[in-house]
Amino acid sequence: MPVKILLDENEIPKKWYNIQADMPNLPGPSYNPMTKEPVKPEDLAPIFAKELIKQEVSTERYISIPEEIREILTLWRPSPLYRAKRLEKLLKTPAKIYYKYEGVSPAGSHKLNTAVAQAYYNKQDGIKRIATETGAGQWGSSLAFATRHFDMECTVYMVKGSYEQKPYRKMMMHTWGAQCYPSPTNMTNSGRAMLERDPDTSGSLGIAISEAVEDAATHDDTNYALGSVLNHVCLHQSIIGLETKKQLSMVEETADVVIGCAGGGSNFAGIAFPFVKDKIDKKNPDVEIIAAEPTACPTLTKGLYAYDYGDVAGLTPIMQMYTLGHDFIPPSIHSGGLRYHGMSPLVSRLHADDLIKSVAFHQNEVFKAAVAFAETEGIIPAPESAHAIKAVFDVAEECRKKGEEKTIVFNLSGHAHFDMTAYEAYFEGNLPDYEYPAELIAASLKKLPQL
Amino acid sequence: MKKIGFLVNPISGMGGKVALKGTDGQADYARSLGAEPVSEIKANSFLNSLNSNYISDILFFTPAGPMGEDSLKKAGLKNYRIISNPDYPSDAEDTKEACEAMLSENVDLIIFCGGDGTARDVVSVTKTKIPVLGIPSGVKMFSGVFAVTPEAGAEILGLFPDVLISETEVLDIDEEEYRKGNLRAEVFGIAKVPAIPHKRQGGKWVSSGSDERNRKEIGDFLAEIIQDDVLYLVGAGFTAKSVFDSLNLSGYTMLGVDALINREIIQKDLSEKDILNLLRRYKSVKIILSPIGAQGFLLGRGNQQFSPDVLKKAGIENIIVAATEAKLSVTNELFIDTGDPSLNIMFPDSILVICGDCMAQRIPVAGLKN
Repeated sequence: MPVKILLDENEIPKKWYNIQADMPNLPGPSYNPMTKEPVKPEDLAPIFAKELIKQEVSTERYISIPEEIREILTLWRPSPLYRAKRLEKLLKTPAKIYYKYEGVSPAGSHKLNTAVAQAYYNKQDGIKRIATETGAGQWGSSLAFATRHFDMECTVYMVKGSYEQKPYRKMMMHTWGAQCYPSPTNMTNSGRAMLERDPDTSGSLGIAISEAVEDAATHDDTNYALGSVLNHVCLHQSIIGLETKKQLSMVEETADVVIGCAGGGSNFAGIAFPFVKDKIDKKNPDVEIIAAEPTACPTLTKGLYAYDYGDVAGLTPIMQMYTLGHDFIPPSIHSGGLRYHGMSPLVSRLHADDLIKSVAFHQNEVFKAAVAFAETEGIIPAPESAHAIKAVFDVAEECRKKGEEKTIVFNLSGHAHFDMTAYEAYFEGNLPDYEYPAELIAASLKKLPQL
Repeated sequence: MKKIGFLVNPISGMGGKVALKGTDGQADYARSLGAEPVSEIKANSFLNSLNSNYISDILFFTPAGPMGEDSLKKAGLKNYRIISNPDYPSDAEDTKEACEAMLSENVDLIIFCGGDGTARDVVSVTKTKIPVLGIPSGVKMFSGVFAVTPEAGAEILGLFPDVLISETEVLDIDEEEYRKGNLRAEVFGIAKVPAIPHKRQGGKWVSSGSDERNRKEIGDFLAEIIQDDVLYLVGAGFTAKSVFDSLNLSGYTMLGVDALINREIIQKDLSEKDILNLLRRYKSVKIILSPIGAQGFLLGRGNQQFSPDVLKKAGIENIIVAATEAKLSVTNELFIDTGDPSLNIMFPDSILVICGDCMAQRIPVAGLKN
């Protein structure tokens, strides 16, 4: 039994899987925040590439991956699937644990899968520069690398707090030729307005999105790119689950439990959607699919399934999704990638239809699991991915108690090489166990947009 | 042989239940309001928790009568020597005199049952010459010299002198000013204490202006979740009271309990009796509390109006706890000492503490449940 299950380069999938073709119910339409009318493709044209807008609403089951994209993906894909034998031994579980490792990408996470695709389609449209935001820096560095490949410029608005805390993420972006600015900047109206109100602000993802969108909307040669949430991003990430299924079949396994962490939902969608298809098709009807979230930002677990804005300022389309309220600013937990008030509308719909489940964990229990994983399997997991690991621990423990030999597979979406201060804080006992007080909030729901 | 000074301040703690915020100069008044002596009960709990393994190795030095001797007798102990004969009712001078006498007997440690006022009197004599340990029985215990419970105090004494001795601030508050709502925790002096993690109360952590914004977020959030026709009993402290600022209500009692219904303050500075009267009139009730400083005391320190009777009637599930992030950063655990052990164990293992807009931290409940 091999520890690493590897595919050949020519086995990189040739098509992405689009779950919109198979979902029993599609999410409701998105609405224009200004007119409150359903969003039309032309509304998105000023900031998104044509092909990406098409993919956003496509119901075609499989969409071909252009050869130019596959060629770049060969730098790290197919990514390995590992059998976590040492971890199984530590947990004394009869369950078989597999993990798909996306940290092998040059930027260190799954984000590059969609960054390359988005850069490619923008290049096709003659776009010279892409503006984006980044919180922890994973997405910014991925897009920096992708735009470099297509000889485009990249402007990253990085949340000022992270910009100061994570100098190496910033240097990665510089190395790949991107311009990275601490947001809010004095280069955009939204940035200037924010600085006027609070010159010492450490910024937020909401503000950074506003700056990047404004930059793209006010420059003809510039488009905007989002690293999660949207349908086309989930589509590009489906390559993770497609490879995983092929790798499991090589060792004659069928997944019983599939787990991913969920912030905006894209890495979860990536591992899960091809398995959700099997559940819908009744090929594997009992497969359990679990999204792991932080208790500080438990969008699926405790949020409301409703219509809400995708950003704080209310500039993005109003989407049907699970939300904690667009004005909710999650506390500064060390899993920056999971600090988002909303959730991918596709993931949300599947959750509303009971095709997937969700669980939420506190920071300290997550890091405890992360350290145990690092001690046995070697890889130090990104704090975000560690939420999935904690969920795996719980399922494996259930299996131990019941003597069940389930096959668990999870997405190890990235490594923690730029997040070691989070581990330091954990070891020093300085991580607060934040929790969203859902029961109290339920009594008076936060303001949601009226349609 | 361990030479231990032992003294009880017979009047301390009496003001708490009747909302006096301290008993200095108020003992008769407190008695007239129906207060009962607390320190004697705490002294008994402490002495009854002493373990027979080490008790024979202890020689107590204590004042005659209610200031010590009576409690030792009641506990069936004979290994003590009388070092002073106070005139009763006793006062601060008697405490100081007893401590002087203990020093001249070269005791190794002074254990006293009292509150901040008693700590101040003891330390004014001992300075840092010998360590002291308070058995909590006052109304206010902001100083860092107190064991968490009488039982914990007994455990510390068992380990003494093989424990780390550290220095801590003794704080006090002018009781006259405190009754008016002015909280000025001043450092009165430095004391030596046997240091045992989680067994001794840390000095109260006094919030600085830097977390004002955080407190406003908490107040705004609490104001947002306030429901109609529900009685809110808002406890002492800046953070709990922030809800009033956010509702634009002034004139509240910073260090007492005020009642709020439909966004109006209906009664201020409530005693236990006042609260019980209100609970008879209103069916739906919520209690808003903030933990006291670094001690992490949620109940039992500074807010004894929330008595076991009150908490049982209101229901412990109706307690909403709030604290600033800065305060939580020095509060590893919450201590609950309602005065009724059967009620203490009803509290969950951890409590959600509101620390911002739509945000809380889960803090473990420790110590007294075990």
